[in-house]
Amino acid sequence: MIAPARTAALIFSLAALFAGPSPAAEDASLLKDLTAVIMLLGLPCGQVVSVQRHADNDHIATCKDGNRYRVFVNAEGRVVAQKQ
Amino acid sequence: MRTIGILLIALTAACAGVKQAPPASTAQSGLLLVDPWLLGRNQDRTVAAEPPRSEAIREAAAPAPSAAPTHEPATIAIQAVKIEPAADAPAAPPKNQHAAKAAAPTAKAPAMASASAPTVEQPRKSEEPPAAVRKPQPPLDIATLKTRLRETNAIGVFTKLALKNQVDDLLQQFRAHYLSGQKTSVAALRQPYDMLILKVLALIQDSDPSLAQTISGSREAIWGILADPVKFNSLS
Repeated sequence: MIAPARTAALIFSLAALFAGPSPAAEDASLLKDLTAVIMLLGLPCGQVVSVQRHADNDHIATCKDGNRYRVFVNAEGRVVAQKQ
Repeated sequence: MRTIGILLIALTAACAGVKQAPPASTAQSGLLLVDPWLLGRNQDRTVAAEPPRSEAIREAAAPAPSAAPTHEPATIAIQAVKIEPAADAPAAPPKNQHAAKAAAPTAKAPAMASASAPTVEQPRKSEEPPAAVRKPQPPLDIATLKTRLRETNAIGVFTKLALKNQVDDLLQQFRAHYLSGQKTSVAALRQPYDMLILKVLALIQDSDPSLAQTISGSREAIWGILADPVKFNSLS
């Protein structure tokens, strides 16, 4: 019979093996990416604090200063930030 | 009886002086082993104890046994005043001017020595720049810059795309300038170029400092390519 501690260790190691990047990490990188885009486009924001995903390459970013932008890639392949 | 009483009091005072001497006498053995608390105490004691001793010597009215014990604390006190500046402790100025004058040259010497030591060491440090600074990196051209920016993980996909758009816009402005056949220089495009470089540096300097350093070092080389119509046309 396998001890409970060994079972728990096995479960945790398997979970760690098959786990992908956490949603929190993805969110953090997306927030950083959108912050950089808005900064690059010269729009006031400060820092993006939350993101709502609408579609692929289409997000609503809420900034620390209260501004909200729709950041998306248009048909010409350009990144656009529209103020909401 | 009165004389005996005075003698007994003087002897008691002398013995009391001898009992206080041993803690301070440790200061004579070595400068670094002195407790700062003891120094401060000795310094205060010298100021208070010295005038009676000098008065006793000058008057020569005091009995002989009292002269010897009072002499020892005085020498210890001078040692303490000399040692105190070496500990770099900003203490209150000594009330006794003689002691202060005697302490001033000895105090300046250690202070100058300790102050001059770092100034000697600093040029040595500046003579040896880090290997990354010493090693000159080859300047980037436009294609290499695009490739490096595409491959870096310092910025996200959206940022890369936005950056690519802005680089393409700037190149389009150069192209339009050369196609228009204007005789004026491209100095007007220097500012947007600098702004774009600064944006790129701001984006990557934290996450990819080596690329930021390379781009910063290639700034003039890339401008040289853009500002030369022949080199620019060879790009496209």
